[in-house]
Amino acid sequence: MLVHQFLETNAEAYSYREALVHLEGRINYLDLERSANRLANFLIDCGLRPGDRVGILLDSSINYVISYFAALKAGGVAVALNTATTSRIVKSILSDCSASVLIVHRQYAHFLKDIIDELDSLETVVIDGHYERLERKKSLRAENFFDIQLNGSSERPSVNLAPDDLASIIYTSGTTGNPKGVMLSHRNLQANTDSIVEYLNLSYEDRVMAILPFFYSYGNSLLLTHIRVGGSLVIDSRFAYPNVILELMSRERATGFSGVPSTFAILMHKSRIHDYRWDHLRYITQAGGPMSPALTLKIMEAIPHVKIFVMYGQTEASARLSYLEPEKLLEKIGSIGKAIPGVTLTVRDDKGSICPPGATGEIVARGDNIMRGYWNQPEETKKVLKEDGLHTGDLAKTDNDGYLYIVSRKSDMIKSGAHRISPKEIEEILAEHGDVVESAVIGIPDSILGETIKAVIVLKQGSKTSPRDILKHCRLNLPAFKIPKIVEFRENLPKTSSGKIKKHVLVEEHKE
Amino acid sequence: MDIKTDVRNFIVDNFMMGMEPGTLADKDSLLNKGIIDSTGVLELVGFLEETFKIQIEDQELVPENLDSVDKIAAYINKKQS
Repeated sequence: MLVHQFLETNAEAYSYREALVHLEGRINYLDLERSANRLANFLIDCGLRPGDRVGILLDSSINYVISYFAALKAGGVAVALNTATTSRIVKSILSDCSASVLIVHRQYAHFLKDIIDELDSLETVVIDGHYERLERKKSLRAENFFDIQLNGSSERPSVNLAPDDLASIIYTSGTTGNPKGVMLSHRNLQANTDSIVEYLNLSYEDRVMAILPFFYSYGNSLLLTHIRVGGSLVIDSRFAYPNVILELMSRERATGFSGVPSTFAILMHKSRIHDYRWDHLRYITQAGGPMSPALTLKIMEAIPHVKIFVMYGQTEASARLSYLEPEKLLEKIGSIGKAIPGVTLTVRDDKGSICPPGATGEIVARGDNIMRGYWNQPEETKKVLKEDGLHTGDLAKTDNDGYLYIVSRKSDMIKSGAHRISPKEIEEILAEHGDVVESAVIGIPDSILGETIKAVIVLKQGSKTSPRDILKHCRLNLPAFKIPKIVEFRENLPKTSSGKIKKHVLVEEHKE
Repeated sequence: MDIKTDVRNFIVDNFMMGMEPGTLADKDSLLNKGIIDSTGVLELVGFLEETFKIQIEDQELVPENLDSVDKIAAYINKKQS
């Protein structure tokens, strides 16, 4: 089955059931599919060929979902970009995947202004909302989203695709600093979607409160699982005001809620969660980094009748790799559970042998959900996709019952809130500041975000640069969530005899 | 200094470094303009509590009170009256 057939099947089976609820309105399955068809037909008319990349620069919204499914229906590969971005990142991603189409909200169209002449492969831009003309030397077809919906044909387009064709590329921070495009086929996404549907026991009666952005794999899996079963998504990304979200969840009688550890930390400490009864809420899921057992216990206390699923995964696995059954949460607290249906997880030592219970090794995953590789990066792909499966880079051990416990991560990626941040990318930006000799960017513990970013910097002798100047430089070159919270200047950085910066020494300084 | 100036200075200093302060109008939504996120709101709350000697209750953490310089100033005035 192809991913857009999730929508097509339910447009027939549950035509008038509500698919999406958002500030901008509500839409049922039939209208959602027809809207996606109109945009897909337009893309085909523009010359989109199977396998061509379609960039999407929209916040989670009804139009995002229309765009995502339209890209697939037209045979394209959906490349959703994080909207907290810079022109530089937009250029780097659209150039890397040679996107021929970009669907962009007017709010983010300004990112294109200075780079549009450098995006050689871009032929068509669809703008959601009114925006002044986009000027480019080379010809460019620019169309308004609304006009396409007004005039387009809602006939279902017919494009020949196979399950192993690419459906999506999700860019994720790489350890090298450059984002890596994770290539996911229709088969990858379908396998993972069906597996999640099975263990969460999702049905058409489920209504998930979706606060996570759809451009990340966790948010994407919420979208696909609920469209797969004919359920509903209540979309609102204003989690900055948690009480607004709680009120909406209550009003819309959401049956599910998904978040990362910082989501639950904010809910437990800074919201009115205790003022509601939550009789409609059936389950919550948590992924995106380890959550402290103390916080897990607090959630159990606050909503005792709700099933809590602790999950683990990677973008490279379409989203999900393991989950802990709610019934085992107390007994196995701190565990990420066992492999989800259709996936095999093993813990292996450096020689590739399976570790006995209690011994630490790397988690290696196999299954139909494992990515096809990194776009245009065969060498990086070879490092993680090996004969025995996907090497996750996460170190873990199992207990005698086969439950997995993460010990540490091999890479030094920072997990802050819902974001996975490459220290290297920030260090490269810092290096562009004229007064910075060298720097080490690390994640330090934060009670709400999990980790927060700290930059330890060595300045040129006699430099008058202040931490404020550094932050200003970062602000100009990085999206807000990648800007260090703490900047510290030092005379030198701890190093090994071969001159490698000993980041673990800097990290240790922040451990209790 | 008046409340609006204090609040504006805090927002510009902490969330808009490198951005042109003139791009923020008093009525602009901090969330829609991408100036503030969930942790930013918590930092803002800490600043308001400390600077204006008020206690912000969980139920008051809503955009109607905090999502623009105008709204924040009106909210502080109400709390102090």
